[in-house]
Amino acid sequence: MSKRVVVTGLGLICALGGNAEECWNAAVNGVTGIAPVKTVNAEGCYANLGAEVDTPNAELSSEDYDRSSLLCIKAAGEALKDSGYEVTSANSDRIGVIIGNCVGGAVSIDKYYTAKQNGGGKNTDVLKMPAAALANNVAFHYGLNGTTANIVNACAAGTISLAYAADLIRSGKADAFVAGGSDSFSSLAFAGFHALHALSADPCSPFNHSNGITLGEGAGILIIEEYEHAKARGAKIYCEVLGSGVSSDAHHITAPDPEGKGQMLAISRAVENSGLSANDIDYINAHGTGTAKNDEAEFLSLHTLFDENDHLSVSSTKSMTGHCLGAAGSIEAVFTVKAVCEGVVPPTIGYTDENLANLKEKAGGIDFVPNTKREKDIEFAASNSFAFGGNNASIVFAKKPREIPDRTNNERVFITGMGEALGAPTAEISGDDYKEHGIKMAFYRKLDRFSQLQLISGMRALKDADITVTDDNSKDVGIVVGTADGPLTEVYNFQKTVCENGTAAGSAFAFPNTVYNAAGGYFSIFAGIKGYNVTNANSVQAGLQSLCYSADVIRNGDESIMVATGTDENTEVTRYLYDTLGILSSDKLGEGSVSIVLESETSAKSRGAKKYAELAGWASAHKSVEFGTIKGSEDALKKVILDACANAGITPAEVGCIFGFANGHPAIDALERDVLSEIFGADSDVLKNVVEVKQTVGEARAAAAAKQAAKAAECLSAEDCAYKYALAVSFGLGGQYSAVVLKKCED
Amino acid sequence: MNHEEICAKIKDMLVENLRIPADELEYTSELFGDDIGLDSIDSIEIIAGIDNLFGVQMTGAARENFQTIETLAKYVEEHQGA
Repeated sequence: MSKRVVVTGLGLICALGGNAEECWNAAVNGVTGIAPVKTVNAEGCYANLGAEVDTPNAELSSEDYDRSSLLCIKAAGEALKDSGYEVTSANSDRIGVIIGNCVGGAVSIDKYYTAKQNGGGKNTDVLKMPAAALANNVAFHYGLNGTTANIVNACAAGTISLAYAADLIRSGKADAFVAGGSDSFSSLAFAGFHALHALSADPCSPFNHSNGITLGEGAGILIIEEYEHAKARGAKIYCEVLGSGVSSDAHHITAPDPEGKGQMLAISRAVENSGLSANDIDYINAHGTGTAKNDEAEFLSLHTLFDENDHLSVSSTKSMTGHCLGAAGSIEAVFTVKAVCEGVVPPTIGYTDENLANLKEKAGGIDFVPNTKREKDIEFAASNSFAFGGNNASIVFAKKPREIPDRTNNERVFITGMGEALGAPTAEISGDDYKEHGIKMAFYRKLDRFSQLQLISGMRALKDADITVTDDNSKDVGIVVGTADGPLTEVYNFQKTVCENGTAAGSAFAFPNTVYNAAGGYFSIFAGIKGYNVTNANSVQAGLQSLCYSADVIRNGDESIMVATGTDENTEVTRYLYDTLGILSSDKLGEGSVSIVLESETSAKSRGAKKYAELAGWASAHKSVEFGTIKGSEDALKKVILDACANAGITPAEVGCIFGFANGHPAIDALERDVLSEIFGADSDVLKNVVEVKQTVGEARAAAAAKQAAKAAECLSAEDCAYKYALAVSFGLGGQYSAVVLKKCED
Repeated sequence: MNHEEICAKIKDMLVENLRIPADELEYTSELFGDDIGLDSIDSIEIIAGIDNLFGVQMTGAARENFQTIETLAKYVEEHQGA
């Protein structure tokens, strides 16, 4: 039987208010948070509206973090308090943090570059730039030591983070998560959507006048908890978290598939994984952004799936909160939970009498809840989120306990393909590399370096695995991209243009590549992959965490083939950032992408795939320390190695060889040596031949972490290899670790 | 600025802003056809680039003006200083 997962706490901050109750009261009463923008200079722009949070940084939290982190800390504090969850040293490693985010530290990049133009620019602002700091900052602030992830799938991030949290709880990897999303109001997003002509000059009114979005900011946090755990501590339970669905359009980097196929796949998966049919759903908090392309595609998806449903209400609270990007899904999840608990549907506002007449003509049987709330009993409600890159996600909440189908399996997971584009200090990519996979110039010229590296390595891995993605298998294949720094170069350069030439000068060409999930998006589009698609920005170890995540997706019964990757670029901007930070030496940086195909035994067998090695055990662990540091997180490194071995059913003594993360930095190398000595014995044979891949590939961050696993698989697959088990382990700044145990294939 | 100079400036802008390989871009290459394969997002960038270089507004200009570097240059010549 599948574990019950429940919501036990809510936290929210957005333009509608400073807490969940305030925001909810405003939303059900149709109050708008949209007003002329204050924090972005909209001079020369055709639109000047936004839904900003008035609270200044200093009042959100005492820390000196990027605004996205501060908004998140504020909402997480409310949610934790609301849940009554008492975090102690004994239970802190069972509650983790999974945060969705889109623009990362864009506000800090803006601040830094603007100050730099005037001869200033604080180094402390550089540390605030990567999205990877977010979950760690929240975990560190509240002393939470469960695993972390930063789901950076643009506008679907806030929903995917909740889905991932619930899945990890169901598989027993945590008791609870602080999960949701956060994004601050940025010149990056404003200039980007303005350049794409996707901003509305009037307050957005999705499904009504679909002439663009209004951007917002905020954070929505839910405490997602295992039911028995919540019950044992006498927690207040809001509602049940049922199934979720994640998919890719494989269509276009910014526009949704006009036929809505990917959206429908995500919604159908969520409904089916909940053991429900479309006719059971009472309310959907739509993605409803207000762009013509989104609204038309979602309208079509909803009508196609729900036309037989005579009691469905659909609304878009973005008409009041604005589009909060990576926070959108989680803010809307808070509203969806409240709607279920209180029996009230918040409206979509902005309809005139004439609009209402138009709506009557096109709405069909669906109630679009115009202007005023609807009171009704809600048993089952869903929340949709769709994003750039063609990423779609949907999740279902229920008022009463309900057993959901147990789709988990105990499939053995094998590495059946590997591909890379890797080098130190930089990787070589030429026109021939594109030709090798039939990638035309019209496609690849749009990609920034980060996306190029990912595309080449991903296609090489599929080719190596002898997998051709077709209509028959496209939904069974998924992607998890792991990265430390994502497309930071593209973000930085975009921001530089905006700082120098004004908000109206943002580039429509560059903007789509500034979202962290663009690389995974392009890869899915070119390869035709339509299943799960997630990007996790979580420092160096993200390239190994992607294998852990992918293996979990296979065991959850979501996909049978996953491409797990580690990708990071080394550009002038990267080197500049690391030099400024002084945490990893820039002359030791490498770059690239390593993609590893993980496949269930059934799938591998059915197509007679070659197998490099079995992924026998995997684990992630975290001990919160300040982002940018690792000192004090030794316990988590110890734990992740022991957990990965236990997960593989072996003792550390059975590990034959180790692929380590040492990168030439004294503190990092000492940490690895000390902990490995403690576990395996300082004089043990295994410690004498630890393979340090970064000696050849440089500190290629997530790419190097994935390379460690690839190298281990390659080693075990050699006929003359005497080892049975190999371990690969990597670190993340802030104290996050992942490890995998690979096993030699006997057949 | 003569026709050749305008073409050269437009080509540089396309190479720089839209990452089109210079050696694959002729003045008569079909920008939105099979040759180069530009799309609607690229056309936004072209409009911004032309405005930036020559102060010529192409918002709402007919599609045929966007066909090649040649046609873009012709449009610029006809509307410059207007």
